[in-house]
Order: sequence, then C-alpha cells, then structure tokens
Amino acid sequence: MSVICLLAAVLLCLTNDAAARIYIDINSPGLKRLPIAVVDFAGIAEGTEMADIIKNDLDFTGLFVFVNKNAFIESATAPFSPDNWRPLGIDAVVKGTAEVEADGSLAVVASVYDVVESSNIMKKKYSSKRDQIRPLAHKIADDIYEALTGQKSYFGSKIAFIGQDGDRKSIYLMDYDGQRVKKIVSKGDITMKPRWSSDSKKLYYSSMRNRKWGIYVLDFDSVSEDKLYSSGATDLIGDVTQDGSYMLFSSSLKGSPNIYRMNLGTKEVTRVTHSENIDVSPSVSPDGKSVVYVADKTTVPQLYIMTTDGTDSRRLTFEGSYNTTPEWSRAGDQIVFSGREGGRFQIYTIKPNGTELKQLTDTGNNEEPSFSPDGRLITFTSDRDGVKGVYVMMANGEGQKRISPRNIRAFGPSWSH
Amino acid sequence: MKHIILLLMLVALFVSGCATTDVAVPDDKKGKDIGKISKDGKDDVVKIDRDKIRDGALTEEQIRAQMASLFKDIYFGYNRHDVSEGEKANLRKIADWLLKNANVSVLIEGHCDERGSNEYNLALGDQRAQSTKNFLVSLGVPASRLETISFGKEKPACMERSEECWMKNRRAHFVSSK
Repeated sequence: MSVICLLAAVLLCLTNDAAARIYIDINSPGLKRLPIAVVDFAGIAEGTEMADIIKNDLDFTGLFVFVNKNAFIESATAPFSPDNWRPLGIDAVVKGTAEVEADGSLAVVASVYDVVESSNIMKKKYSSKRDQIRPLAHKIADDIYEALTGQKSYFGSKIAFIGQDGDRKSIYLMDYDGQRVKKIVSKGDITMKPRWSSDSKKLYYSSMRNRKWGIYVLDFDSVSEDKLYSSGATDLIGDVTQDGSYMLFSSSLKGSPNIYRMNLGTKEVTRVTHSENIDVSPSVSPDGKSVVYVADKTTVPQLYIMTTDGTDSRRLTFEGSYNTTPEWSRAGDQIVFSGREGGRFQIYTIKPNGTELKQLTDTGNNEEPSFSPDGRLITFTSDRDGVKGVYVMMANGEGQKRISPRNIRAFGPSWSH
Repeated sequence: MKHIILLLMLVALFVSGCATTDVAVPDDKKGKDIGKISKDGKDDVVKIDRDKIRDGALTEEQIRAQMASLFKDIYFGYNRHDVSEGEKANLRKIADWLLKNANVSVLIEGHCDERGSNEYNLALGDQRAQSTKNFLVSLGVPASRLETISFGKEKPACMERSEECWMKNRRAHFVSSK
C-alpha cells in the first residue's frame, strides 16, 4: 500500500546498541509528511490540552499531517490496535495517560505506536508539577519528534526579545511558540538584542545605564546580572563562542567602532579589527575559527568574514546596499542576515562561501534574524502588521507567522540553543 | 526495539522550561537621571558650577537661555557621519561660546533615523557624536568638556516615516552636562 512508501524506511545506526527506524528523514528532498494521530491524554482534565500542545508542536515542523480527532475510533483508554487506525490512513499514533500522585504531582506515560508494523516505537514515563503542563507537553513532543526523525527538536527552546513599553526597552522571554511571555530584565534605559550562551544558561546584552553603554550577562542559575565590560564609549555585544570561552563585541573606545574579543575567564580584551570604518555585529562560526560581521568599508554596510584573530577578511555580500545583523547557523552551513531591497529590509540566507543567496521574506521590513537550535526555523522582527513583532518561519521562508503578543512592540529576537 | 521506561525527572533546567525560570531583575529606581536625557530637547539635567557663575557676567538662567538658542541640533546625511560644510558655521558659534563659558560641559548625543539595524545605527550615532566632538576640539574646546553617547535610532525626535522626519532624526544633539 501507499502507506508503506510514506514511511521512509531508512535504517540508521544511531547508537551502538540499537538500530532505530527513521520514520521521517527530514533531510530528504522528496519528503512526504507523516500522517499522525495525537489522542487526548487520559486520566486528567488537562489531557486534551496536553494533546493539543503536542499536536501544535508537531504541526509547527511542517512534517506531519493530522486527521480530525472526531474521526478516531479508538478511545484514549482502550489498548492500541492498528486496525482502528489503518482505515483512517494514520501511520503513527500518540497516546498517553496521566495520574495525579499523592503529593499532587503528575505521573504521565506517553507512547507512540507504528500502525504499519503494529509496534510500539516509544514509551516514556514523566513526572511533573500539575501547573507545568505546557513544558511537560513540549518535552513529550521533543521525545516523539526524536523517536520519529532521529533529530533533536526545539519545542523546549526559548526566544528572548526586546519589548517596549512606553519609553523603556526591556528583555522578555517566551516559549518558541509565543506562549508564557515574561519580562525578565527591565534595568537600564535602552537594552539591545540579547545573545545566548551555548548552554542557554546565560544571556548577554548591551544596555545603557546612567548614560553609559555596557555589556551585561544574566546568569539564569544564580539569577544574577553582572557587568562584563564598559569602556565609556559604545560597547555592543556580538556573540559568544560555542565553548563559552570568548565574547566578541564591538567598541568605539579607540574612535571607530571595531571588533574586540574578551576572554571570559581572564576578562582580558584583545582588539580584533583595526579599521577606520564601522565594524559591528560579529557572529562566530560554530568551530570558533571565523567571524561574520558588518563593516561599512565601502560606505554602506556589508557582511565580511575573517578569522577570529582578525586576519583574512573577505567580503561576503555583494548584492544589496545595506546588509546587517548576520547570524551563523549552529551547523555552520548558513548565515542569515537582513538586507535592503527596494527601500525595504528583507531576510536572506547565504552560504559562508558566498553562494546560494536566498531571499526569504517580501512583506514589510524584516530584520534581526536568528536560527532555531536545529537551523530549521528562523525568528525575526517584522513590521508587516504595522507594529513591530517577533515572527517565525521555516529556514526556506515558508510558514511565516507572528508569535509575540500584539500588545507589546517586540523586536530583536534571539533563539536559545 | 527496546522498551526502555525512563523516569525522566523534569529537573528545573532552564531550557526545558520549568517553574524556576522566573528570573526577574528589579527595576532601577524610577526617576534616575536616565529619563531626563533629551526629551524633545528639554533637558533638566543642567548642572552648572554656581561659584564660577557668580564671578562671571551670566546668571544660570542666562546660560540656559543662551544655550537653548545656540546649541541647535547638527544634521547629517543618510548613512553619513562627517560634519557637513553647512553645519560647520553652527559648530563654530558653539565652540566660541564654549570657549567663553569654561564652566559648562556638554554631552553630545548621536542619533539616527529609523532605517537599518539597531546595532549598526548605534555605531553610526557614535560616529556622529564623535565627529561633532572632534570638530569642536579642532576649534580649541578641551576634549575633557565634551562627552559623547550614541542613542542610535532608539530616541527619534520625529516619529513619522518620511524623508523630512528622517532628516530631523539624523542629528547630534547637545545636552549641558555639568
């Protein structure tokens, strides 16, 4: 049957002791979407909400198709039987049960079944506080996604962004799907787009405090903020290397804004560029060897790539007259940036070797892009609805949608690792 | 396939999004001098050395009035940070005044129009403030009396999306500091 060919029967050895079936090969060009059913979890009132969050997570990826749950034959409590799902054209079924423990916490079991093979693909047990349904459902969706694709997902990730209320610009945090928005840093008059450490436990940002720019770090473990650097001139964070050893930033302490790096262990600062023009917004490659940055050597800002110690600078972008805010993907294969086209700003991707320039947006002004941990999605700022907001799209430009709440002017999004 | 039942403790790891992510850094004390910078050019942070004023001819009010009429914004071309010929006459008047009133120090704010990235504009605003300062220094004003700061495109003087408005926003703005 055609059901069989929907299952990309690619067998990969993922670990030494187990060969896992990949139900969706997300890198396959002729990808077919997997028909999947997510049954409301049994046992608690929030079971429907949990199933909906999981379904939304899976739907967000564009890799799955769903059947209206009114058509389901099998109930949440009944044992899995492939015969109940074959008539609906479903290939995979997610079912779960939840129990309230004596201390009020939840004990949840989530399972994924393969209809074609009549087998259990995943069965995992979770424990959570009852008011943490949303992160729990994201965690379950993470595991389902990994069981079906062999890849890590981003359902548990966060997006930090700048929100403006009145004159003040503060840092906000939200789930990747725009839920659970929270203001976390409201110190300072102006705070700029933050950057994450690779373990997502720290957030680095530039902030103006008492008429001085400085670079600050918020440590989520210790719930404390530290000032890392303030020269008295304009100091702006660019990036932190994946191993957490260096911070790259720009500073005008010697006159022209140039790129510097700080050893985060010793706090020693080394000048990286020595130009007379503006050099800003450095983003470091995952191997820590190269830096993409903005320079206006030609009087308009363009992207350049150099080594982390400032040698071998070469121009990356030649099209467009105003290219800024580059970010290197965590796999290292793409650079995303904002460029001006016909008087408006759009999001583009380009390979680090300068080939395969792709324009991803075409409505309104779109700026400050940032990749999801797996590089499959991009978050960015857009004013297409009149007021600036944080949007998300697939890395090929499909499925663009606003995720930040409409009552906050939101920009400068940065996706956690 | 192995049916491994994992008891996953949902440790309050940050990214897994559990309850302890409620990190909040408290607000600054409200009303610090932060909010007083360049709100429509009406600044109430003038700090002038009163002893020196007593010796001179001008009262504090006179100094304020003279500065308000003399220290006009310096405008820049699109994506430019060099002081244009047209603005140099204004800056010469400002330099003369500063040389006569040695007790006044000035903060020069660099500003940009709304187009382009926040970070590049902060760098551009920095350069606008610095080239304004450098021109005044070249006319003999001590650098120690001229501080600079960049607001990039964060504090526009004019909010509309028009060339006329953008021109007004590409500016160096003076604030008397101490």
